[in-house]
Amino acid sequence: MSFWEKVSNIDRRWIYFLVAVSVVFPMLVVIKFPIGITPEAKQLYDAVEALPDSSIVFLTFDYYPSTLAETEPISIAALNQMFRKNMKIITMTTVPLGGPSIAERVTRKLANKYNKVYGIDFVNLGYKANYVAVLKGMGSSIESIYPADNAGTPLKDLPLMSKVRNYNDVKFIFVVADNGIVDYWISIVNAQYGTPVGAGVTAVMAPKMYSFVEAKQLTGLLGGMKGAAEYERLVNHEGTATRGMDAQSMVHLLIIFFVIVGNIGYFATRKSGRSGQV
Amino acid sequence: MTFFAQFQIWLGAFLVLALFSFLYKDNPFYKLAEHVYAGLSAGYYVGLVWQSVIIQQLVDPMFDDGQWWLIFPGLLGTLMFARFFAKWSWVSRISLAFVMGNTAGVFLISQLHGLILPQTMSTMLSLNPKNGFAATLLALVTVVGVISTLIYFYFSKEHIGVLGGTARVGIWFIMISFGAHFGYTVMARISLLIGQVQFLLFDWGGSIKQIF
Repeated sequence: MSFWEKVSNIDRRWIYFLVAVSVVFPMLVVIKFPIGITPEAKQLYDAVEALPDSSIVFLTFDYYPSTLAETEPISIAALNQMFRKNMKIITMTTVPLGGPSIAERVTRKLANKYNKVYGIDFVNLGYKANYVAVLKGMGSSIESIYPADNAGTPLKDLPLMSKVRNYNDVKFIFVVADNGIVDYWISIVNAQYGTPVGAGVTAVMAPKMYSFVEAKQLTGLLGGMKGAAEYERLVNHEGTATRGMDAQSMVHLLIIFFVIVGNIGYFATRKSGRSGQV
Repeated sequence: MTFFAQFQIWLGAFLVLALFSFLYKDNPFYKLAEHVYAGLSAGYYVGLVWQSVIIQQLVDPMFDDGQWWLIFPGLLGTLMFARFFAKWSWVSRISLAFVMGNTAGVFLISQLHGLILPQTMSTMLSLNPKNGFAATLLALVTVVGVISTLIYFYFSKEHIGVLGGTARVGIWFIMISFGAHFGYTVMARISLLIGQVQFLLFDWGGSIKQIF
Protein backbone atom coordinates (compact mmCIF):
# COMPACT_ATOMS: atom_id res chain seq x y z
CA MET A 1 0.00 0.00 0.00
CA SER A 2 1.48 3.37 -1.06
CA PHE A 3 1.75 6.40 1.22
CA TRP A 4 -1.23 8.14 -0.40
CA GLU A 5 -3.35 5.01 -0.17
CA LYS A 6 -2.58 4.86 3.55
CA VAL A 7 -3.52 8.54 3.90
CA SER A 8 -6.77 7.99 2.00
CA ASN A 9 -7.72 5.12 4.32
CA ILE A 10 -6.70 6.78 7.60
CA ASP A 11 -8.95 5.99 10.60
CA ARG A 12 -11.35 8.95 10.87
CA ARG A 13 -10.75 9.08 14.65
CA TRP A 14 -7.30 10.55 13.94
CA ILE A 15 -9.05 13.43 12.20
CA TYR A 16 -11.35 13.92 15.20
CA PHE A 17 -8.28 13.91 17.44
CA LEU A 18 -6.51 16.57 15.34
CA VAL A 19 -9.66 18.73 15.29
CA ALA A 20 -9.91 18.41 19.08
CA VAL A 21 -6.26 19.46 19.50
CA SER A 22 -6.82 22.42 17.15
CA VAL A 23 -9.77 23.57 19.27
CA VAL A 24 -8.21 23.05 22.71
CA PHE A 25 -4.72 24.40 22.00
CA PRO A 26 -5.74 28.03 21.14
CA MET A 27 -7.91 28.14 24.26
CA LEU A 28 -4.92 27.37 26.45
CA VAL A 29 -2.42 29.46 24.47
CA VAL A 30 -3.97 32.74 23.25
CA ILE A 31 -2.93 33.51 19.65
CA LYS A 32 -5.26 36.44 18.79
CA PHE A 33 -5.89 36.04 15.08
CA PRO A 34 -7.14 39.34 13.61
CA ILE A 35 -10.94 39.83 13.43
CA GLY A 36 -12.02 42.10 10.57
CA ILE A 37 -15.33 43.98 10.66
CA THR A 38 -17.66 43.28 7.73
CA PRO A 39 -19.84 46.09 6.30
CA GLU A 40 -22.99 44.16 7.31
CA ALA A 41 -21.94 44.03 10.99
CA LYS A 42 -21.02 47.72 10.94
CA GLN A 43 -24.38 48.53 9.33
CA LEU A 44 -26.24 46.77 12.15
CA TYR A 45 -24.14 48.45 14.82
CA ASP A 46 -24.62 51.88 13.23
CA ALA A 47 -28.38 51.34 12.90
CA VAL A 48 -28.74 50.64 16.63
CA GLU A 49 -26.28 53.40 17.51
CA ALA A 50 -28.25 55.91 15.42
CA LEU A 51 -31.46 55.34 17.40
CA PRO A 52 -32.25 58.02 19.97
CA ASP A 53 -31.43 57.10 23.57
CA SER A 54 -34.34 55.50 25.45
CA SER A 55 -35.85 54.16 22.22
CA ILE A 56 -38.03 51.10 22.60
CA VAL A 57 -36.51 48.09 20.83
CA PHE A 58 -37.28 44.40 20.44
CA LEU A 59 -34.57 41.82 21.03
CA THR A 60 -35.58 38.28 20.16
CA PHE A 61 -34.09 35.07 21.52
CA ASP A 62 -35.23 32.82 18.70
CA TYR A 63 -32.69 30.09 19.29
CA TYR A 64 -32.31 26.69 20.91
CA PRO A 65 -29.68 25.85 23.54
CA SER A 66 -27.79 23.74 20.97
CA THR A 67 -26.59 26.86 19.14
CA LEU A 68 -25.71 28.95 22.20
CA ALA A 69 -22.04 29.18 21.19
CA GLU A 70 -22.97 31.19 18.12
CA THR A 71 -26.07 33.08 19.20
CA GLU A 72 -25.71 33.93 22.89
CA PRO A 73 -22.62 36.15 22.37
CA ILE A 74 -24.67 38.16 19.83
CA SER A 75 -27.46 38.66 22.38
CA ILE A 76 -24.97 39.67 25.08
CA ALA A 77 -23.18 42.15 22.81
CA ALA A 78 -26.50 43.63 21.65
CA LEU A 79 -27.73 43.99 25.25
CA ASN A 80 -24.49 45.74 26.19
CA GLN A 81 -24.99 48.25 23.41
CA MET A 82 -28.70 48.77 24.13
CA PHE A 83 -28.43 49.10 27.91
CA ARG A 84 -25.48 51.46 27.47
CA LYS A 85 -27.76 53.67 25.36
CA ASN A 86 -30.52 53.41 28.00
CA MET A 87 -32.83 51.77 25.51
CA LYS A 88 -36.03 50.14 26.67
CA ILE A 89 -35.77 46.51 25.70
CA ILE A 90 -38.59 44.05 25.09
CA THR A 91 -37.37 40.47 24.77
CA MET A 92 -39.38 37.58 23.40
CA THR A 93 -38.95 34.21 21.72
CA THR A 94 -40.73 32.01 19.23
CA VAL A 95 -38.67 29.01 20.33
CA PRO A 96 -40.14 26.88 23.10
CA LEU A 97 -37.10 24.86 24.16
CA GLY A 98 -34.74 27.13 26.03
CA GLY A 99 -35.74 30.46 24.47
CA PRO A 100 -37.70 31.93 27.42
CA SER A 101 -35.19 30.88 30.07
CA ILE A 102 -32.15 31.96 28.02
CA ALA A 103 -33.75 35.39 27.54
CA GLU A 104 -34.44 35.62 31.28
CA ARG A 105 -30.94 34.53 32.34
CA VAL A 106 -28.96 36.66 29.87
CA THR A 107 -31.08 39.82 30.17
CA ARG A 108 -31.19 39.76 34.00
CA LYS A 109 -27.41 39.33 34.19
CA LEU A 110 -26.75 42.30 31.91
CA ALA A 111 -29.50 44.37 33.58
CA ASN A 112 -27.78 43.96 36.95
CA LYS A 113 -24.52 45.19 35.42
CA TYR A 114 -26.22 48.38 34.15
CA ASN A 115 -28.59 48.81 37.14
CA LYS A 116 -31.70 48.41 35.02
CA VAL A 117 -35.09 47.71 36.54
CA TYR A 118 -37.47 45.04 35.31
CA GLY A 119 -40.75 46.45 34.02
CA ILE A 120 -39.28 49.93 33.51
CA ASP A 121 -36.14 49.33 31.44
CA PHE A 122 -36.79 45.84 30.12
CA VAL A 123 -39.51 43.24 29.87
CA ASN A 124 -39.38 39.57 28.93
CA LEU A 125 -42.56 38.55 27.11
CA GLY A 126 -41.47 34.92 26.90
CA TYR A 127 -42.81 32.34 24.48
CA LYS A 128 -46.07 31.98 22.60
CA ALA A 129 -46.90 29.14 20.23
CA ASN A 130 -47.69 29.65 16.52
CA TYR A 131 -45.11 32.23 15.48
CA VAL A 132 -46.98 33.40 12.38
CA ALA A 133 -50.04 34.34 14.44
CA VAL A 134 -47.77 35.91 17.09
CA LEU A 135 -45.85 38.08 14.61
CA LYS A 136 -48.98 39.11 12.76
CA GLY A 137 -51.05 39.70 15.89
CA MET A 138 -48.47 41.97 17.52
CA GLY A 139 -48.96 44.34 14.58
CA SER A 140 -52.42 45.12 15.99
CA SER A 141 -51.83 44.70 19.70
CA ILE A 142 -48.96 43.15 21.62
CA GLU A 143 -51.21 42.76 24.67
CA SER A 144 -53.72 40.67 22.71
CA ILE A 145 -50.94 38.14 22.01
CA TYR A 146 -49.09 38.46 25.31
CA PRO A 147 -51.63 39.35 28.01
CA ALA A 148 -48.88 38.63 30.56
CA ASP A 149 -45.08 38.53 30.58
CA ASN A 150 -42.91 35.44 31.01
CA ALA A 151 -43.49 35.38 34.76
CA GLY A 152 -47.27 35.80 34.42
CA THR A 153 -47.41 39.50 35.39
CA PRO A 154 -50.17 41.25 33.38
CA LEU A 155 -48.69 43.69 30.86
CA LYS A 156 -50.86 46.50 32.21
CA ASP A 157 -48.89 46.26 35.48
CA LEU A 158 -45.55 46.86 33.70
CA PRO A 159 -44.80 50.61 33.17
CA LEU A 160 -42.72 50.00 30.02
CA MET A 161 -45.56 48.16 28.30
CA SER A 162 -47.97 51.07 28.86
CA LYS A 163 -45.91 52.95 26.22
CA VAL A 164 -46.07 50.12 23.69
CA ARG A 165 -49.19 49.10 21.83
CA ASN A 166 -47.85 47.54 18.63
CA TYR A 167 -44.93 47.70 16.17
CA ASN A 168 -45.56 51.41 15.58
CA ASP A 169 -44.06 52.08 19.01
CA VAL A 170 -40.98 49.93 18.39
CA LYS A 171 -38.00 51.64 16.74
CA PHE A 172 -35.95 48.56 15.86
CA ILE A 173 -36.17 44.78 15.97
CA PHE A 174 -32.93 42.91 16.61
CA VAL A 175 -33.56 39.26 15.76
CA VAL A 176 -31.12 36.66 17.08
CA ALA A 177 -32.08 33.33 15.57
CA ASP A 178 -30.95 29.87 14.58
CA ASN A 179 -33.94 28.97 12.41
CA GLY A 180 -36.17 30.19 9.60
CA ILE A 181 -38.08 32.63 11.80
CA VAL A 182 -35.98 35.49 10.38
CA ASP A 183 -37.84 35.08 7.09
CA TYR A 184 -41.10 35.83 8.89
CA TRP A 185 -39.73 38.81 10.79
CA ILE A 186 -38.80 40.15 7.34
CA SER A 187 -41.84 39.09 5.31
CA ILE A 188 -44.48 39.85 7.94
CA VAL A 189 -43.12 42.53 10.25
CA ASN A 190 -40.67 44.48 8.09
CA ALA A 191 -42.63 44.21 4.85
CA GLN A 192 -46.10 44.80 6.25
CA TYR A 193 -45.45 47.14 9.19
CA GLY A 194 -42.21 48.83 8.08
CA THR A 195 -40.31 48.31 11.33
CA PRO A 196 -36.55 47.99 10.63
CA VAL A 197 -35.19 44.51 11.32
CA GLY A 198 -31.54 43.56 11.91
CA ALA A 199 -30.38 40.00 12.42
CA GLY A 200 -27.73 37.91 14.12
CA VAL A 201 -27.96 34.35 12.86
CA THR A 202 -26.06 31.07 12.92
CA ALA A 203 -23.42 30.60 10.24
CA VAL A 204 -25.53 27.95 8.47
CA MET A 205 -28.22 30.56 7.85
CA ALA A 206 -25.96 33.48 6.97
CA PRO A 207 -25.48 32.95 3.20
CA LYS A 208 -29.22 33.08 2.59
CA MET A 209 -29.56 36.26 4.65
CA TYR A 210 -27.18 38.28 2.45
CA SER A 211 -29.87 38.56 -0.22
CA PHE A 212 -32.13 40.25 2.34
CA VAL A 213 -29.38 42.72 3.20
CA GLU A 214 -28.86 43.46 -0.51
CA ALA A 215 -32.60 44.00 -0.91
CA LYS A 216 -32.53 46.36 2.11
CA GLN A 217 -35.04 44.14 3.93
CA LEU A 218 -32.48 43.53 6.67
CA THR A 219 -30.62 46.38 8.30
CA GLY A 220 -27.32 44.63 8.95
CA LEU A 221 -26.34 41.04 9.54
CA LEU A 222 -24.13 39.03 11.88
CA GLY A 223 -23.22 35.54 10.71
CA GLY A 224 -22.30 32.93 13.31
CA MET A 225 -19.44 33.13 15.78
CA LYS A 226 -17.47 35.39 13.45
CA GLY A 227 -20.36 37.87 13.33
CA ALA A 228 -20.69 37.66 17.12
CA ALA A 229 -16.97 38.37 17.52
CA GLU A 230 -17.28 41.36 15.19
CA TYR A 231 -20.16 42.77 17.23
CA GLU A 232 -18.27 42.18 20.48
CA ARG A 233 -15.44 44.20 19.00
CA LEU A 234 -17.78 46.97 17.85
CA VAL A 235 -19.43 47.31 21.27
CA ASN A 236 -16.03 46.97 22.94
CA HIS A 237 -16.95 43.89 24.97
CA GLU A 238 -14.67 40.88 24.61
CA GLY A 239 -16.75 37.76 25.14
CA THR A 240 -16.80 34.06 24.34
CA ALA A 241 -17.08 34.63 20.56
CA THR A 242 -13.85 36.65 20.42
CA ARG A 243 -12.08 34.03 22.53
CA GLY A 244 -13.48 31.23 20.36
CA MET A 245 -12.30 32.76 17.07
CA ASP A 246 -8.69 31.60 17.59
CA ALA A 247 -9.90 28.00 17.75
CA GLN A 248 -12.18 28.65 14.79
CA SER A 249 -9.28 29.92 12.67
CA MET A 250 -7.03 27.01 13.71
CA VAL A 251 -9.64 24.43 12.72
CA HIS A 252 -10.25 26.22 9.42
CA LEU A 253 -6.52 26.00 8.64
CA LEU A 254 -6.61 22.30 9.55
CA ILE A 255 -9.63 21.70 7.30
CA ILE A 256 -7.92 23.52 4.40
CA PHE A 257 -4.94 21.23 4.99
CA PHE A 258 -7.24 18.16 4.97
CA VAL A 259 -8.91 19.32 1.73
CA ILE A 260 -5.52 19.77 0.01
CA VAL A 261 -4.15 16.42 1.29
CA GLY A 262 -7.43 14.68 0.43
CA ASN A 263 -7.35 15.99 -3.14
CA ILE A 264 -3.68 15.10 -3.67
CA GLY A 265 -4.40 11.64 -2.26
CA TYR A 266 -7.41 11.24 -4.53
CA PHE A 267 -5.52 12.14 -7.70
CA ALA A 268 -2.42 10.14 -6.69
CA THR A 269 -4.39 6.95 -5.97
CA ARG A 270 -6.56 7.43 -9.07
CA LYS A 271 -3.41 7.59 -11.21
CA SER A 272 -1.90 4.48 -9.59
CA GLY A 273 -5.27 2.72 -9.90
CA ARG A 274 -5.27 3.41 -13.65
CA SER A 275 -1.66 2.24 -14.11
CA GLY A 276 -2.52 -0.88 -12.12
CA GLN A 277 -5.39 -1.65 -14.51
CA VAL A 278 -3.11 -1.25 -17.53
CA MET B 1 -20.63 28.39 43.77
CA THR B 2 -23.59 26.58 45.32
CA PHE B 3 -23.84 22.80 45.45
CA PHE B 4 -26.74 22.91 42.97
CA ALA B 5 -24.73 25.00 40.47
CA GLN B 6 -21.81 22.56 40.80
CA PHE B 7 -24.16 19.63 40.27
CA GLN B 8 -25.59 21.25 37.12
CA ILE B 9 -22.10 21.72 35.67
CA TRP B 10 -21.00 18.15 36.47
CA LEU B 11 -24.20 16.70 35.03
CA GLY B 12 -23.76 18.82 31.90
CA ALA B 13 -20.13 17.76 31.55
CA PHE B 14 -21.05 14.09 31.94
CA LEU B 15 -23.71 14.36 29.22
CA VAL B 16 -21.38 16.25 26.84
CA LEU B 17 -18.61 13.65 27.29
CA ALA B 18 -21.14 10.82 26.92
CA LEU B 19 -22.30 12.28 23.60
CA PHE B 20 -18.73 12.91 22.39
CA SER B 21 -17.86 9.28 23.21
CA PHE B 22 -19.81 8.28 20.08
CA LEU B 23 -16.90 9.67 18.03
CA TYR B 24 -14.84 6.72 19.27
CA LYS B 25 -17.65 4.18 18.94
CA ASP B 26 -21.27 3.57 19.92
CA ASN B 27 -21.63 2.80 23.65
CA PRO B 28 -24.23 2.73 26.50
CA PHE B 29 -23.25 6.20 27.81
CA TYR B 30 -24.03 7.73 24.43
CA LYS B 31 -27.35 5.90 24.29
CA LEU B 32 -28.21 7.10 27.81
CA ALA B 33 -27.46 10.75 26.96
CA GLU B 34 -29.40 10.50 23.71
CA HIS B 35 -32.50 9.10 25.44
CA VAL B 36 -32.31 11.63 28.28
CA TYR B 37 -32.23 14.44 25.70
CA ALA B 38 -35.18 13.07 23.72
CA GLY B 39 -37.29 12.44 26.85
CA LEU B 40 -36.54 15.79 28.47
CA SER B 41 -37.27 17.74 25.28
CA ALA B 42 -40.63 16.01 24.82
CA GLY B 43 -41.62 16.49 28.47
CA TYR B 44 -40.58 20.13 28.54
CA TYR B 45 -42.41 20.87 25.29
CA VAL B 46 -45.65 19.27 26.47
CA GLY B 47 -45.56 21.26 29.73
CA LEU B 48 -44.78 24.51 27.93
CA VAL B 49 -47.53 24.11 25.32
CA TRP B 50 -50.04 23.13 28.00
CA GLN B 51 -49.28 26.31 29.94
CA SER B 52 -48.76 28.78 27.09
CA VAL B 53 -51.51 27.56 24.75
CA ILE B 54 -54.19 25.59 26.60
CA ILE B 55 -54.14 27.55 29.86
CA GLN B 56 -53.08 31.07 28.79
CA GLN B 57 -54.80 31.27 25.40
CA LEU B 58 -57.89 29.13 25.97
CA VAL B 59 -58.84 28.33 29.57
CA ASP B 60 -57.94 31.64 31.26
CA PRO B 61 -59.52 33.96 28.63
CA MET B 62 -62.69 31.83 28.58
CA PHE B 63 -63.27 31.52 32.31
CA ASP B 64 -61.59 34.69 33.63
CA ASP B 65 -62.33 37.20 30.84
CA GLY B 66 -65.58 35.70 29.53
CA GLN B 67 -64.29 35.23 25.98
CA TRP B 68 -66.75 32.35 25.40
CA TRP B 69 -66.28 32.35 21.61
CA LEU B 70 -62.87 30.72 22.11
CA ILE B 71 -64.85 27.50 22.52
CA PHE B 72 -64.93 27.26 18.69
CA PRO B 73 -61.15 27.19 18.06
CA GLY B 74 -60.94 24.95 21.14
CA LEU B 75 -63.39 22.51 19.55
CA LEU B 76 -61.52 22.65 16.23
CA GLY B 77 -58.35 21.74 18.09
CA THR B 78 -60.08 18.87 19.88
CA LEU B 79 -61.30 17.46 16.56
CA MET B 80 -57.66 16.84 15.60
CA PHE B 81 -57.60 13.99 18.15
CA ALA B 82 -60.14 12.13 16.02
CA ARG B 83 -57.16 11.01 13.90
CA PHE B 84 -56.43 8.41 16.57
CA PHE B 85 -59.73 6.61 15.77
CA ALA B 86 -59.97 5.09 12.31
CA LYS B 87 -63.75 5.37 12.15
CA TRP B 88 -63.80 9.06 13.05
CA SER B 89 -60.50 10.24 11.59
CA TRP B 90 -62.30 12.08 8.74
CA VAL B 91 -63.60 14.59 11.31
CA SER B 92 -60.07 15.94 11.79
CA ARG B 93 -60.12 17.13 8.17
CA ILE B 94 -62.45 19.95 9.21
CA SER B 95 -59.74 21.38 11.45
CA LEU B 96 -57.06 20.71 8.83
CA ALA B 97 -59.11 22.51 6.18
CA PHE B 98 -59.36 25.53 8.47
CA VAL B 99 -55.61 25.49 9.14
CA MET B 100 -54.77 25.09 5.44
CA GLY B 101 -57.08 27.89 4.34
CA ASN B 102 -55.85 30.20 7.05
CA THR B 103 -52.19 29.41 6.35
CA ALA B 104 -52.60 29.86 2.60
CA GLY B 105 -54.22 33.27 3.12
CA VAL B 106 -51.54 34.51 5.51
CA PHE B 107 -48.61 33.13 3.53
CA LEU B 108 -49.85 34.28 0.13
CA ILE B 109 -49.53 37.90 1.18
CA SER B 110 -46.36 37.55 3.25
CA GLN B 111 -44.49 35.50 0.64
CA LEU B 112 -45.53 37.67 -2.28
CA HIS B 113 -45.30 41.06 -0.64
CA GLY B 114 -42.46 40.27 1.75
CA LEU B 115 -40.21 37.94 -0.19
CA ILE B 116 -40.87 37.43 -3.91
CA LEU B 117 -41.45 41.04 -4.97
CA PRO B 118 -38.63 42.69 -2.96
CA GLN B 119 -36.17 39.93 -3.87
CA THR B 120 -37.05 40.18 -7.56
CA MET B 121 -36.80 43.96 -7.46
CA SER B 122 -33.35 43.77 -5.91
CA THR B 123 -32.08 41.81 -8.95
CA MET B 124 -33.28 44.47 -11.40
CA LEU B 125 -30.13 46.54 -11.34
CA SER B 126 -28.91 49.30 -13.57
CA LEU B 127 -26.00 48.33 -15.83
CA ASN B 128 -25.23 51.95 -16.62
CA PRO B 129 -21.41 52.37 -16.60
CA LYS B 130 -21.87 55.87 -15.16
CA ASN B 131 -22.49 54.18 -11.77
CA GLY B 132 -18.81 53.31 -11.57
CA PHE B 133 -16.84 50.23 -12.65
CA ALA B 134 -17.25 48.21 -9.42
CA ALA B 135 -21.00 48.85 -9.11
CA THR B 136 -21.59 47.99 -12.78
CA LEU B 137 -19.51 44.82 -12.52
CA LEU B 138 -21.39 43.66 -9.39
CA ALA B 139 -24.73 44.46 -11.04
CA LEU B 140 -23.66 42.48 -14.11
CA VAL B 141 -22.63 39.48 -12.00
CA THR B 142 -25.99 39.59 -10.20
CA VAL B 143 -28.03 39.88 -13.40
CA VAL B 144 -26.06 37.13 -15.21
CA GLY B 145 -26.19 34.92 -12.09
CA VAL B 146 -29.96 35.25 -11.67
CA ILE B 147 -30.80 34.71 -15.35
CA SER B 148 -28.39 31.77 -15.89
CA THR B 149 -29.50 30.04 -12.66
CA LEU B 150 -33.17 30.43 -13.60
CA ILE B 151 -32.41 28.98 -17.03
CA TYR B 152 -30.68 25.99 -15.39
CA PHE B 153 -33.98 25.23 -13.64
CA TYR B 154 -35.98 25.63 -16.87
CA PHE B 155 -36.70 22.03 -17.91
CA SER B 156 -39.28 22.50 -20.67
CA LYS B 157 -36.63 22.58 -23.41
CA GLU B 158 -33.50 20.49 -23.87
CA HIS B 159 -30.36 22.19 -22.57
CA ILE B 160 -28.46 22.51 -25.86
CA GLY B 161 -27.11 25.47 -27.82
CA VAL B 162 -27.46 28.92 -26.21
CA LEU B 163 -29.82 27.51 -23.56
CA GLY B 164 -27.31 24.78 -22.65
CA GLY B 165 -24.39 27.23 -22.51
CA THR B 166 -26.33 29.62 -20.25
CA ALA B 167 -27.42 26.70 -18.04
CA ARG B 168 -23.76 25.69 -17.64
CA VAL B 169 -22.96 29.24 -16.48
CA GLY B 170 -25.86 28.82 -14.04
CA ILE B 171 -24.25 25.63 -12.68
CA TRP B 172 -21.09 27.62 -11.89
CA PHE B 173 -23.11 30.15 -9.92
CA ILE B 174 -24.90 27.35 -8.07
CA MET B 175 -21.57 25.65 -7.28
CA ILE B 176 -20.12 28.89 -5.90
CA SER B 177 -23.25 29.27 -3.77
CA PHE B 178 -22.87 25.69 -2.49
CA GLY B 179 -19.23 26.45 -1.64
CA ALA B 180 -20.25 29.49 0.40
CA HIS B 181 -22.92 27.45 2.18
CA PHE B 182 -20.45 24.64 2.87
CA GLY B 183 -17.86 27.05 4.28
CA TYR B 184 -20.42 28.66 6.57
CA THR B 185 -21.74 25.23 7.64
CA VAL B 186 -18.22 24.12 8.61
CA MET B 187 -17.88 27.33 10.65
CA ALA B 188 -21.24 26.67 12.34
CA ARG B 189 -20.41 23.10 13.31
CA ILE B 190 -16.96 24.06 14.61
CA SER B 191 -18.57 26.87 16.63
CA LEU B 192 -20.80 24.33 18.36
CA LEU B 193 -17.74 22.23 19.21
CA ILE B 194 -15.93 25.33 20.49
CA GLY B 195 -18.91 26.16 22.71
CA GLN B 196 -18.85 22.72 24.33
CA VAL B 197 -15.05 22.73 24.70
CA GLN B 198 -15.26 26.17 26.35
CA PHE B 199 -17.85 24.72 28.74
CA LEU B 200 -15.65 21.71 29.55
CA LEU B 201 -12.42 23.67 29.91
CA PHE B 202 -13.60 26.76 31.75
CA ASP B 203 -16.88 25.90 33.53
CA TRP B 204 -16.22 22.26 34.38
CA GLY B 205 -12.47 22.86 34.72
CA GLY B 206 -13.20 25.77 37.09
CA SER B 207 -15.51 23.57 39.11
CA ILE B 208 -12.88 20.82 39.37
CA LYS B 209 -10.31 23.39 40.50
CA GLN B 210 -12.73 24.71 43.14
CA ILE B 211 -13.48 21.26 44.55
CA PHE B 212 -9.93 19.91 44.58
